[in-house]
Amino acid sequence: MKITFVKKILANGEPCAKCADVEARLRTGNYLSRIDETQVADERDPESDGMRTAARLGVERAPFFVVENDGGEVVYTVFFKFLREVLEAPVSNSAEASEILRDNPDLDLI
Amino acid sequence: MTAQRISQNDSHGVSSHGVDSHGRADEQAEEQSIAVSLDASPQQVLEDALSSFDADKIAISFSGAEDIVLVDMAVKLGFKPRVFCLDTGRLHAETYQFLERVRKHYDLALEILSPNGDDVAELVAEKGLFSFYEDGHNECCSVRKIAPLRNHLGKLDAWITGQREDQSPTRSDLPQDQIDKAFSSDDHTLMKFNPLARWTSSQVWAYIRQESVPYNPLHDRGFVSIGCEPCTRAIGPGEHERAGRWWWEEATAKECGLHAQNVTPLIPASGG
Repeated sequence: MKITFVKKILANGEPCAKCADVEARLRTGNYLSRIDETQVADERDPESDGMRTAARLGVERAPFFVVENDGGEVVYTVFFKFLREVLEAPVSNSAEASEILRDNPDLDLI
Repeated sequence: MTAQRISQNDSHGVSSHGVDSHGRADEQAEEQSIAVSLDASPQQVLEDALSSFDADKIAISFSGAEDIVLVDMAVKLGFKPRVFCLDTGRLHAETYQFLERVRKHYDLALEILSPNGDDVAELVAEKGLFSFYEDGHNECCSVRKIAPLRNHLGKLDAWITGQREDQSPTRSDLPQDQIDKAFSSDDHTLMKFNPLARWTSSQVWAYIRQESVPYNPLHDRGFVSIGCEPCTRAIGPGEHERAGRWWWEEATAKECGLHAQNVTPLIPASGG
C-alpha cells in the first residue's frame, strides 16, 4: 500500500489552513510515518505535483489522500474517513462533525 | 416525476443542445424559458418531496426562525410531516417558547434533538462555555448541532431545509433538491430539499404576513437570522443577515476548493 498526501498552497502563497490542521493531526497521532509521499498542490502552479494529481483523479478539493493498493487507487477527501478506514485510528463523532462543518460551511446556519 | 426534476436541478440548468459559440437568440431564449420553468415553487418542491418518500423517512428541519413557512406550507398541503429541531441548549428563551407554540398550533410531534451530553461536557470542561468567542464557532456547532444532526439524518432518506440562496455567499447556487453529499455515505444516499432556495427574505416574510403564520418574536426586535443566544444579535437596516451571526469572526476564506491560476485550468472550474 502506498499513501500519498496532497496538501494545498493558496494562490496568495499561504498554506491552506485545513491542510495544516490535517498535517498537525497526523503528526500528533504519530501517523506521518505511514505517509509515503507528500505532494503540494500549488494554486499558482498548475504543473505542481499535487495539482497534476488532482487533475488526473478529478479531485476538486484539498487536502486529500490517494491510497494505492493492488494496482488500484482510492481517493479520500474526507480526512476522518481516511483516518478510520486506512490508518484504522479511533475517530470521535465530534471530530467528524467538525470536518463536515468545515467542508460545508453553509451548515452552520441550519 | 420527482426523479426527473432532481436530475435537471442537479445540473444547475439546461444543457447547451449544441448551440454554437455565436449563439442564436431564439435558442437562447428557449433555454432561458426552460431554465425558469425548472424552478418550482416552494410548495411544489415540498409536495414532490413529501410524496416521494415514506412519511417516516423524510423530515423538515426547523430552526425556530422564519423557516416556519415550510411547516405551514406542508400542513396546508395536507401533510402531517415529521419536523425536527436542533436544541443546542443555548437557544433564546423566546425560541423555546416559539417551538412550543408551533407544536401546539400545528398539532405536531416536534422532535427535539439534543447533543451528546458527554461531548458537551468534554467541550465545556476543556474550554468553558464561551470558547467560540476565542477560537471560532466550528467546534461548538459541531458538538451541539452537526453531530446530532448527522445522527438523526442517518435514520432518514431525505430532509427538507429552509436554506435560501440569499442567506450567504456560500449558498449562491443552492439547488432546490440535491443529493446531500455531506451526510450521505457509501451505503446510504440522503436527499436534501431546499424549497425556499429561490425565495428572498422578503418573499418569506410576505408569506408569513399573508398567511398569518406564527413567528419567533425575536424577529420583531431586529433579529433576522436566529441561532444560539450567544452567537446571534439584532442587525441594523441594510445589514446582511449573516452579520447577525458570529459577527466577531473574520470572513476568512473557508473553502478548500482548488483554483488553478493563469493558463488553462487543469482542474475543472467547479471546484467551489
